[in-house]
Amino acid sequence: MRPIATTRTAAGLPTSRLAVWWVIVSEIVIFGGVLVSYLMHRLGHSEWSDYAANTNMWFGAFNTLVLLSSSLSAVLAHQAASKGDGQLACKLLWLTILGALLFLLVKSVEWTMEISHGFTITANAFWSFYYTAAGLHAFHVLAGAVIMIFVANAAARGEELQRVEAVGIYWHFVDIVWIFLFPLLYIAK
Amino acid sequence: MSDHANEHEHPNYVKTWGWLVVLLMISVAGPMLGIKVVTLITAFGIALVKALLVARNFMHVNVEPKFIGAVLVTTLSLMVLMFFLVAPDVMKHEGQRWINLSAAVPAPAPETAEEPPPEALFDAEATFQTICASCHGQSGKGDGIAAAALPVKPANFASPEFWETRDRESVLKVIREGGAAVGKDPLMAAYGGIYDEQQTEALADYVLSLKP
Repeated sequence: MRPIATTRTAAGLPTSRLAVWWVIVSEIVIFGGVLVSYLMHRLGHSEWSDYAANTNMWFGAFNTLVLLSSSLSAVLAHQAASKGDGQLACKLLWLTILGALLFLLVKSVEWTMEISHGFTITANAFWSFYYTAAGLHAFHVLAGAVIMIFVANAAARGEELQRVEAVGIYWHFVDIVWIFLFPLLYIAK
Repeated sequence: MSDHANEHEHPNYVKTWGWLVVLLMISVAGPMLGIKVVTLITAFGIALVKALLVARNFMHVNVEPKFIGAVLVTTLSLMVLMFFLVAPDVMKHEGQRWINLSAAVPAPAPETAEEPPPEALFDAEATFQTICASCHGQSGKGDGIAAAALPVKPANFASPEFWETRDRESVLKVIREGGAAVGKDPLMAAYGGIYDEQQTEALADYVLSLKP
């Protein structure tokens, strides 16, 4: 018996994918609220560019490369799953999880440096936005990694292969959020 | 990539990733030219292109039913709507018949380990002129530009009657705890959390120096 999530098509697409798109739509509202508020305050306070000058673009650029690459392994995992190769999908998902862990590792080194310089979440409104936006994003990276562990292990047994694509779509969305956080927090100074 | 039966042709994923990395390198190189317009285009223009590439080639949004795109565009337009509805309140720092107290108070500089803010930098007169003078007036007569809009008129430090009932301690208390703490107008904000004890005393001394 095929699972409901792959076969019910009243909406014209598998229910698992429909569900992920619905998650993403609500995530757009969450991240959109933070990013739009940040943008307004940033445009309204010219002195914020002095605070932003203390963020390190190379940390941001490296993490962008990590996320873009993990998106590639996620989409290749989807391709493998759609061909029925659960073993390969599992390996590629684990590669994506490694990308997520590398991203979080770089983030923790970066934050440790910033906090030790006195740039804490309460230093001023810029740093409050910085840690809120990047922290909310990092939480999504962590959540994605945990979900992928379950999906990868099931895929290795050839089970629930449609979930590989579903978690991939979520992962690409997390990638896109970072694509916008990178110029907002690291490049525009 | 099209050698297996599927509902659509897959984009070349590795090639897409290659393009994304090239675009990332351009957005990193952009600020090195030092031209603001170029930086903004390479930062945000390229971010948009990268996001569209990921959405199209990795998320396959273009092969989904049209209503998925419609729902995505709807929520994205909510972001734009929010910007234009809230921006006038957030971005405008002055206007008639209202004062934006939080915008008038400069954010405290972050305390960096290498360079702690030197105490000597605090200039009581300059602080009075930027923060207090908007209501109390440049010479402390209670005739600042915002005073006309205030329901309760700000204190006139140049009036001898005013000083009959005040001393240094009461001035310090109002600066620290705000007008409400001494039964006066709450629009006089509390600055105890913004200025330290030494700075508050310097401010109080400046106010006392306006005494006739």
